[in-house]
Amino acid sequence: MKAGLYPKIAADGIRKNGRLYIPYFITCILMVALFYIMHMLGFSGLLKNFEGGSTASDMLRFGTYIMAVFGTIFLFYTQSTLVKGRLKEFGLYSVLGMNRKNLGRIVFFETLISWLIAMTGGLIAGIGLSKLAELGFLRLVAVEVNYKFNLSVSSLVTTVIVYSVIFFLIFLNSVRRVRFASAINLIRADKAGEKPPKANWVVGILGFVILASGYYIAIKIKQPLSALVWFFIAVILTIIGTYLVLIAGSVLLCRILQKNKKYYYKTTHFVSVSSMAYRMKRNGASLASICILLTMILVMISSTSALYINREETLMNHYPRHIDAYASKYGYEKDYIEIAEKLRSGIDERTKEYGAAAKNEICFFNYCLSGYFENSYLNLDINPMENIMTIDYDKVAQVYFFDVDTYNRLTGSDESLSDRKVLAVVDGNLDVGNELKIGKETFDVVKKTDNSKAKLRNVISTNVVSTIYVIVDDVDKVASLYKDYKDPTGSPMLSWYWIYDFDTDLDAEHQTELGKILNKFVHDELSSKRFVNYCDSREYQRNDFIKTFGGLFFLGILLSIIFLVSCVLIIYYKQISEGFEDQSRFGIMQKVGMTKENIKKSINSQMLTVFLIPIIFACMHLAAVLPIIHKLLLLFGHNNMPLLLGCAGVCVLICGIFYAVIYKLTSNAYYRIVS
Amino acid sequence: MSLLEVTGLQKVYKGRRGGASVEALKNVNFSVENGEYVAIMGESGSGKTTLLNILAALDKATSGTVILDGMNLSTIKDSAMAMFRRDNLGYVFQEFNLLDTFTIEDNIYLPLVLAGRRPDDMRARLDKLVPSLGISEILKKYPYEVSGGQKQRAAVARALITDPKIILADEPTGALDSKSSDELLALFKQVNELGQTILMVTHSTKAASNASRVLFIKDGIIFHQIYKGSSSDTQMYQKISDTLNLLAQGGDLK
Repeated sequence: MKAGLYPKIAADGIRKNGRLYIPYFITCILMVALFYIMHMLGFSGLLKNFEGGSTASDMLRFGTYIMAVFGTIFLFYTQSTLVKGRLKEFGLYSVLGMNRKNLGRIVFFETLISWLIAMTGGLIAGIGLSKLAELGFLRLVAVEVNYKFNLSVSSLVTTVIVYSVIFFLIFLNSVRRVRFASAINLIRADKAGEKPPKANWVVGILGFVILASGYYIAIKIKQPLSALVWFFIAVILTIIGTYLVLIAGSVLLCRILQKNKKYYYKTTHFVSVSSMAYRMKRNGASLASICILLTMILVMISSTSALYINREETLMNHYPRHIDAYASKYGYEKDYIEIAEKLRSGIDERTKEYGAAAKNEICFFNYCLSGYFENSYLNLDINPMENIMTIDYDKVAQVYFFDVDTYNRLTGSDESLSDRKVLAVVDGNLDVGNELKIGKETFDVVKKTDNSKAKLRNVISTNVVSTIYVIVDDVDKVASLYKDYKDPTGSPMLSWYWIYDFDTDLDAEHQTELGKILNKFVHDELSSKRFVNYCDSREYQRNDFIKTFGGLFFLGILLSIIFLVSCVLIIYYKQISEGFEDQSRFGIMQKVGMTKENIKKSINSQMLTVFLIPIIFACMHLAAVLPIIHKLLLLFGHNNMPLLLGCAGVCVLICGIFYAVIYKLTSNAYYRIVS
Repeated sequence: MSLLEVTGLQKVYKGRRGGASVEALKNVNFSVENGEYVAIMGESGSGKTTLLNILAALDKATSGTVILDGMNLSTIKDSAMAMFRRDNLGYVFQEFNLLDTFTIEDNIYLPLVLAGRRPDDMRARLDKLVPSLGISEILKKYPYEVSGGQKQRAAVARALITDPKIILADEPTGALDSKSSDELLALFKQVNELGQTILMVTHSTKAASNASRVLFIKDGIIFHQIYKGSSSDTQMYQKISDTLNLLAQGGDLK
């Protein structure tokens, strides 16, 4: 045979299956382009000269790995759909006398052509769009942009290598599929009479149970710390549940509907219910995948956009004043008060030297213990490492000991206490009785205030762990009671915190500079004494916040684009292949007396169900995980539920609109095939 | 008046962009009386499938009229066509055309569901048909689980369940083995004896020999017809094959 024959057959095959291949190429091109862009932004050192830039780059680098993995999985999936659609053609070739080796060659040239198109298209698009992406990215992270065009050779090379490997794997997979099928199987591949699925009660109900338990975990969680632990469990349960419910549960539902004769034997329900029952087993998996992808998009965009939009407020929560000095150390030491005074006077002195005046000062120190809180008792003996599985993280709590003088000063109250008589300011979910036992010591609670109503809240914000503020008459004396408590690693459990926050009359630039001077002072003073310490200016941190949140948001957008495109492609291929199957089916029904109108109606109801299922499930998932996301965002210092809800709403809306457009396009393609 | 009257039927397939057009039916005239069992024979390309499609209102004639029970098919609007088919015609296809997503029972119900009948009414109609068709065993099965003969019996049940004015059968034995064919023909005969009008297009001399009248179609016109009268199936078979031989030799009977 002539050498040029195989490339020609391959090219013809692609051209004649344009309806299948064009979307595939577009996806490939988009994937390659985005990979290049992400790699370029992440690795090119574009941001290395900016404060906080490395965090943003790290995120994009991480994104590149995700892209590579996801790209492989997804292109594999798509390619196998494509090959399946063409097995008949290959069967014909093999009947006409081609052996497996010849077929392999055709597959090779097809992959080669796809690779060429994906690479040239993708790299051109990537290079073309990279400046745009760069500008967008730099704007998000608030870095001044230049309009010089960057081309990263190393990114080009990496992109080519990564995608060549992916395409090579795809090629091997297609060869395997074509090779291990006999000619007759190849011809009949898509006609193989498929059994209508039986309703599997066990799996269906199991799916609902798993999904419900995933939801339950997500909704039940109260504390960010437990959110961290349970989040992945909830996610995994939800994913498994979604697959089981959509694969088995939907068949089950259809079967139940079929049992209801009054419902089932209606023109509009009859056809759609039975064909759904017939298809759900096969389609359940792809619907579930679409649903998971949509959920990922919604979660990613709503959380990252909420973080980004709320950055200023988060910054304010972290840094209520221009300057924030901090020192802490484990254990009880006699000279803490002395050190605190020395630090404060040193800072004040240097601030004055710098020509600034401190205003709105907040300065205090306190002691902290954390343990397992139950029945008004803070148990300090539980080893969290040994009990990692059984421990209820919602019951992990910390106690802050404040001196009553400090408390009066900070809140403007006028309280007086005596030995063992304490005030308790408590987070809502903790149940403190009249007697509070902390370790071996017992205190009488003379007054109890809910933290959400207490004035102390304006001064100290901790959202991560449930907290009890215990106000005592002599904090030093109380702290000394706990000086011998050790955790399982042998280090003291008691820790000391000192904070000094204040505003200045300086502009942003000078605040940053002052912050650096003070940081050096605090550092010199304390490092040798093994204190954790820093002194930050809010202005300096603002950069870091913007870079971090902007980077996350940008990554969220890029990944969402890829996920969304993948969703589209899965739906499109599903509907196209169903269209071909339904062609003859609707032909028969027309002959038996189905009107065109009936056909349209039944197609519509079928399509709508197929389209609505994933997005409805995705919204349900989103609603279920929002509480847990809120808890996780607390770890970033983000505490703005209305904003998060708003972002989620906007995301659902945008996704919904995009989805509606795809629905229209796909259903048009479907109509064209069927009629 | 006859149940079905076909007069001056012509069908021309236009070639694309001024290409040669093909005249599939030239001038077809015949009528079918109520309760008759008519077979139409002809070679491939003789126009018999085109004829059947026009009779089934699946295709439109270029000229001429088809009148079924006083209704002129060409005056029925496109939108009402499907409904007309559903209420008046029963169709039996060579390839059975059962839907693989439905059980046999649901396949049989399909036209009734489309007509919006109530479930208990459908059940009652099916119960009447089941014993004579011998399909009670397979009602809950899916098409892929039953034999070709059983499928075709299910298809006949689907055609009969609407109480159609006429049954149109397109090569009903074409995809069946000889035993199943015999069974199906016996079934047709039995149904016809109960008063059901049947119009069958077929290649098979044996199938045609069951009919009470056989029309021969060639090059788009009805060429000849044979009445069975009181002759037996075997005699009818002989008459038909003689006619076919004559036709094949290009003989002119007129």
